[in-house]
Amino acid sequence: MKKQYVTFVPDIKDLVENSEVTLTIKDLTPGRTKYDARIVKAILSSNAKRLPEGDVLQVRSWTGVLYPKPWTIKVVKDLGDSEAGLPHGETVKAKK
Amino acid sequence: MAFKDLRQFIKALDKTGDVVQIKQEVDWDLEVGAIGRRAYELQGPAVLYENVKDYKDFSILGGSLGTFRRVAIALGLDPETPVKELYAEYERRINQPIKPVIVKDGLCKQNKLIGDDVDLYSLPTPYIHDGDGGRYIGTWAFEVTHSLNTGWTNWGMYRFMIHNKKHIVGWPRYTSHLGMMLHGEYIPQKKKMPIALVLGGDPVYQMVATAPLAINADEAEYAGGLRQAPVELVKCETSDLMVPANADIVIEGEAYPDRTAQEGPFAEYPGYRMEGAKNGVLWQVKAITYRNSPIFTTISLGVPPDDSSIAASLTAALAIKRRLLRHEVPITEVYVPPYGVTHIVVVGVKSGGNAVAKQIKDVLTARRADVNKIIVVDDDVDPFDFDQVIHAFATKCHPIRGIFCENVEAPKGNPLTPAYNSQERRAYRGAIALFDCTWPPELDRMNEVPVKNSFDTMFPEEMKKKIIANWESFGFREKK
Repeated sequence: MKKQYVTFVPDIKDLVENSEVTLTIKDLTPGRTKYDARIVKAILSSNAKRLPEGDVLQVRSWTGVLYPKPWTIKVVKDLGDSEAGLPHGETVKAKK
Repeated sequence: MAFKDLRQFIKALDKTGDVVQIKQEVDWDLEVGAIGRRAYELQGPAVLYENVKDYKDFSILGGSLGTFRRVAIALGLDPETPVKELYAEYERRINQPIKPVIVKDGLCKQNKLIGDDVDLYSLPTPYIHDGDGGRYIGTWAFEVTHSLNTGWTNWGMYRFMIHNKKHIVGWPRYTSHLGMMLHGEYIPQKKKMPIALVLGGDPVYQMVATAPLAINADEAEYAGGLRQAPVELVKCETSDLMVPANADIVIEGEAYPDRTAQEGPFAEYPGYRMEGAKNGVLWQVKAITYRNSPIFTTISLGVPPDDSSIAASLTAALAIKRRLLRHEVPITEVYVPPYGVTHIVVVGVKSGGNAVAKQIKDVLTARRADVNKIIVVDDDVDPFDFDQVIHAFATKCHPIRGIFCENVEAPKGNPLTPAYNSQERRAYRGAIALFDCTWPPELDRMNEVPVKNSFDTMFPEEMKKKIIANWESFGFREKK
């Protein structure tokens, strides 16, 4: 049984196929820990046949709208709970 | 009489038919959010979910202050109290703050999960709207933080979601009191910021946390004023922060100055879901304490009315009124209509004109421009009566000379303004429009100001008195 995840992307073009990308995914397995977040390095594909060992990745826009076609994801490495960076980093950057 | 805890408040709601207690199983995953949303949109009662899937030991309360009736009950008043009187009573009590008292123990300490035992998934946090970024634990809860430099303790209401078992990530505004402490004090000193998230307890706690009170204001004192009894505060397990002893659930932790995680998106109080954040405020949870049979407080935010738009109607209006009076603006009353989600405010003035309008605009954009539309009306218009306000707007606001628009520079803008574009929201830029619906004072009152045509203004006093006295004998059934 394939696992299901969801990711939120500011731009669908941020999802690069066939090379390792870093992204935040939420586990959609039913139960108490549904929506648990992980930051991972993964390989993605928009075509499940090209990544048969992958799990299902639902993709939502930055405002939470679901893209109709799911992607496929193969998690390569867990990168931990958090990333180095400033809280409100994008606002601090946008202000400059 | 102050409520000793949330249960006593729910009993009061039950007595007046202002709460529904659902005993059948409901799912925390969307179902709680959907029921709550529909209840708001039908202007229905608060909802107590007594049987939450996966969480048999907890209940969830949604919509505790989602109508002015329930706000009146929370203040110990008649549920039928008119909004204007509710505003006046809220103002009277806020002006009589009561200092909190420190206690050694409290209901919120009956159960403790500390360190390795912490598991955020032990709490029935709802996944509220389809498409939200996660389970939002901070919707009708407030955060307690403490200034490193001044010792000020702030209560504020900001959105926070579960990131994973031991982390919460949120998006308090950069310009919020929490944001100011974090960026002005903790981040420069590379220190973790202690934080406590408080759910339940007396419903006035959440109400006062929505209030945009002045920097250094002690919300615990104002909560005491609102409940007319001191708030009992008890020390956190893992920090020196003080929290209400009768809270249902307290989550303690530390926000990182240099670590972050993705947050949102979340369908927010203006009634829309805007962008998520790449760099949320991330905190590690160090302890969870809760009373026996705790009640998790939540709101299913969206188009008004809901707890946010109702409670903030009072709290934002009084904050704006105080600010304008402090700057000696000749105002009469201020009303923040719930359907305007604090983005629009009606200000009544004793005398209008461009100079007063400009003064109001300047005061309300001095530090933060949360409001983006201001309607100014003369004192013959009741700001609480939107029929009157629309009439004044339609007839007295000159389409050019009566409208003042200007940009609001970063970071004063309100990033939760759907009308702004993404770049404006991210950079906290914005704009403000003021609609001056007053007669300019320079107009000649005898020859230039149009004479208002109403029963009140167009007929002699004796005639009006006679007609009112005879009203029912004429065959009218309406009030005199």
